Order: sequence, then C-alpha cells, then structure tokens
Amino acid sequence: MVTCTSMKIELINRNGVVVISPSGEIDMYSSPLLRKELISFTKKKISPVIVALRDVTYIDSSGIATFVEALKRMMPYNGKLKIAEIPESIMKIFNFSKLDKVFDMYESIDDAIKG
Amino acid sequence: MNKYAKDYKINMDDDKKISVNETYLRTLEKRVDDLRTLIEVSSIISSTLDFNRLISLVMEKAKNVMNAEACSILLFNKHTNRLEFAYAISKEKSTASILKKTFSLELGQGVAGWVAQNLQTVIIEDVANDERFFKEIDRFSGFTTKSLIAVPLVGRGGLIGVAEILNPKDKPCFCHYDEELFSTLCRQITTAIENVKFYQESIEMEKVRQELEIASVLQKSFLPDSSVFKRGAIEVAAVNIPAEQVGGDIYDFLEPVEGKIGVFVGDVSGKGVSAAMYMAKIISDFRYKARLQEKPNVALGNLNDGLLKGPMGMFVTAVYIIIDVNTGVLSVSNGGHPPFLLIRDNKVEVIDIQGGPPLGIINTEYPVSSMSLNRGDRLLLITDGVFDAINRSGLRLGFDDLVDFISNLEDKNNLVDSIINYVNEYSEGTGRSDDLTLVELRYN
Repeated sequence: MVTCTSMKIELINRNGVVVISPSGEIDMYSSPLLRKELISFTKKKISPVIVALRDVTYIDSSGIATFVEALKRMMPYNGKLKIAEIPESIMKIFNFSKLDKVFDMYESIDDAIKG
Repeated sequence: MNKYAKDYKINMDDDKKISVNETYLRTLEKRVDDLRTLIEVSSIISSTLDFNRLISLVMEKAKNVMNAEACSILLFNKHTNRLEFAYAISKEKSTASILKKTFSLELGQGVAGWVAQNLQTVIIEDVANDERFFKEIDRFSGFTTKSLIAVPLVGRGGLIGVAEILNPKDKPCFCHYDEELFSTLCRQITTAIENVKFYQESIEMEKVRQELEIASVLQKSFLPDSSVFKRGAIEVAAVNIPAEQVGGDIYDFLEPVEGKIGVFVGDVSGKGVSAAMYMAKIISDFRYKARLQEKPNVALGNLNDGLLKGPMGMFVTAVYIIIDVNTGVLSVSNGGHPPFLLIRDNKVEVIDIQGGPPLGIINTEYPVSSMSLNRGDRLLLITDGVFDAINRSGLRLGFDDLVDFISNLEDKNNLVDSIINYVNEYSEGTGRSDDLTLVELRYN
C-alpha cells in the first residue's frame, strides 16, 4: 500500500485482474501518487485498467486530469480505463463535468471486469 | 613513554613546578592546533555560502589537520538513490576530476556506500583486508588507498552524504583520536552543507516567486482589459481571484458578429505556471476561432479540435453563451463546466443544459441549447472554485449549498460581492486552494 497525506492506494487482485483502489481525497497534492500508479500500468500497456473509487471522498480537477492522462496514454494501444464503484458525491462531480462521455463507468468491479 | 623524550619543567607560580615529557608536550601542541583548526573551520562556515569554495576550504583544512594524503566528499542524490563524488583532493589534481566524472555509488556499495546505508562511522586500518572496499575507484583514479576513515553526514533531513579521509602521512593507519577529530569536523561540514543548501533553495524560491509574479502580470494581460462589458441591453461583469499568483480560470467577452456578444468562462485543469500557459493558448485560440462564429457549439468544437494535441493530462471545462443584445435570446454550449444560474424575479434556477465533455480530451461534437431572457433577468456563471471552498472542519461548501445561499439572499442586487464575502467567510483561516471566477450577465 502506498500513502500520502490525504490519500492511500491499495492494489486489489480480483480473479487475476489488478484493481487500483484509492481512498481519501484525490487532489493536487495526492494525485501525483495516483498518476505514478496509473502510469506504471499504461507503460506496460495493461488493459483494462480498473480503478475502484468506493473509498474516495473527493476528486478535484487535478485528480480528473490524472485519469484523463491515463486514458490518453492508453488510446494508442486501444486500452480501456474503467472506473467502478463511484460514490454519489464523486458521481455528481463526474456528472457536472460530463465525464460519463469520456470514461467507462461501472457499478461494481465485477461489472467492470465483465464489461 | 618515548625513551628519547626529554623532560620539561614548567613554572606555574613562584613555588609550584610541574614536569612533562616532550611527547606529552607535542601531543598537547597537536591538540591545541586541532582545536585552532576546528575554530577556523567554524569561521570558514560562516564566511561563505559558495558551496564549492566552502567545501574546498573545509576539506583542505581537514586534510591538513589530519595530515592525510587525500580526502573526499560524496553527496547523496535522493532522486537516483546514489552517492556522487562532490569533492576530492589528493596530491594528484586529476584524481578529483576523474572521480567526479566517473563514479557514483549505490547505497551499500564500497566503504562509503556501507557507511551511508548503516549510518555508522568506520575506521579501516588496511583496506586490502576489508571486503567492503571498492577497488575500481583506485584503479580509475590511480590513487592507492591504504587506510581510511569514513563518516556519514547526517543532517536534520536525513542522510546528506559521506566524508572520507585517506592515508595518514606520518603513520601506517588512523587511530581513534583521528576518528574523533574527523567526526567533529564532519559535524561542522554537515552544518555547512545544510546552510548552503538552505541558502540555495531560498534563492531558487525567490527566483520562482519573481517568475510567478511576471507570469501573473502576463496572465492578467490575456483577460479582457475591463472586467465590465456593455452592449445594448446587455451588461456583463467578471471577478477573477486566482488561488496562487497564476491560476487556470478564464473569462472573455467578445462581439463575434454585430448585435451579439459572446461570454466565455473556462477552468483549466491544474494550477500554476503550466495551467497559466495552457490558459494563454486557449484564450488566443478561442478569440481566433470564435470570431464571426454565431454558434457557440461550433466555436467550442473548433477549440476542442485544437486542444486535442495538447499536454496529456490537461483539459479545460468551458461554457460559451452567445446572446442577442436586443432580444435577450441566447444560445449556449457547455463542455464539462458546472451548471449556471438564472436569477429571475428574485428566484434562482439552476440551468443544467445538455453538454459535452471538457475540451482537450476526446474528439466530439458539442450540443447547443437556446433560451430567452426577460428584462431584469440575470445569469451567473461560475467556476468550481466558488463552491469547492473548504471550511476549518474540512467540509466543502458544495454547489447545492451555494445555490441555497443565493436563493435565500433577500437583496440579490450585489450578488457577486455577497457570494465572494460568503465564500471568504466560509473558508476563513483555511487558505483558498482553487481559483474563483464569477461572471454576471444582466439583461437590462
């Protein structure tokens, strides 16, 4: 597990698929840690990359930018970035930003694996 | 006791005399010299903040007082996790340059690497019998190491580096006293290096501060000259308060065609100089692409196309309204920006139109919506910094609570000022972490 002041990241192995599970606030201070984790996946051209946001309490534009960067890095190899278990408060931020048109979103990790 | 040593009689007072032998006297003299050197090193440390000059002076003193053939300092590079030769002196001047160019050590590699890893001083009588010694250094430098002392330099922030003193000139190996003396010198060297680094960092910070100041002035020059814009029955006023000296919020007013005005509000992801540069590109692209374009969705789409090749993690949320200055009929397009508010008959309505994603992420078309304003209607466009304000308990204000506050305001005439005061009061003592932009459009 890697941690910083406002966020922790746990990697969960779900039936052989690694799921990135951050918890806490993803903001300008903590997003570099998440970026490092996501980039380590995209460098290996892993697809899909699943991020579970169940324990995330807040995400700002720096956090969203981190996902956007990962998505753009995955585009050349047709990789899929899947976001699962999105709490209502985070979904509201995503809806405000119309990010449902950008990211593949799933209710559960299992749905993300199947989808 | 040295059998050749002479006894000396020293008169203390008229009636007291003590005898010392020559060896003891020489030892005392040496210790006084050593103390003098330590005092000199202290004064050197406070005399200069030039790292190279300081290390050169201090290490020269160390080499002389230790009566050693050579000495060196390796600094710990936190980014590479390696020790790098920062300074080396020996009778062969070329040794230092060879070491600086050729060598860096992993933690645990060689004697210095071992010392850095274990944070322990070592004294080695004969390096030939010590398996920690890294022979490649001697092979490249041409120097023959026989005996050494290596001391970890540990400051307030952890490991700084390792100092080594090599080959005593007047004896086969260093002794415990040498270790104590060199360790004392190393504590002074550590303080000196920390002072210089702190000074260098403060200079760098000052440079960054000055550059941010310049960037802030430049950024403001990209926004409209006046924060108030009037055409016909339409009046637009904007307030932009960056969280740092340079922020990523944008607003712009323009007249794409006669009789219509365009109001653009955007929020670039991230903050600081990179966000400000991205913002500068966006605003210049926007002014070019919005010219003569009556459809806000087409203007946003064209702007989006131009941003797709931008930096990977950067995007901008934006809302663009084009309004007829006579009829109050407007068309609006939204790219991932928060909803805007309509204030009509002292009531507040959230206008959440169908929109597209933020600009600069994917190739897409943006939908457009239309609405008509009545005389006296006002629109309030904001960036998320307004409702993302945090209070002392760590709670965010939130969009809904902001709307409630505005709805409950009895006097909505000075709406923008009331909101800024409310946000400032809410976040008092916490420091604002995001830019804050409010644009109010009135149809008089």
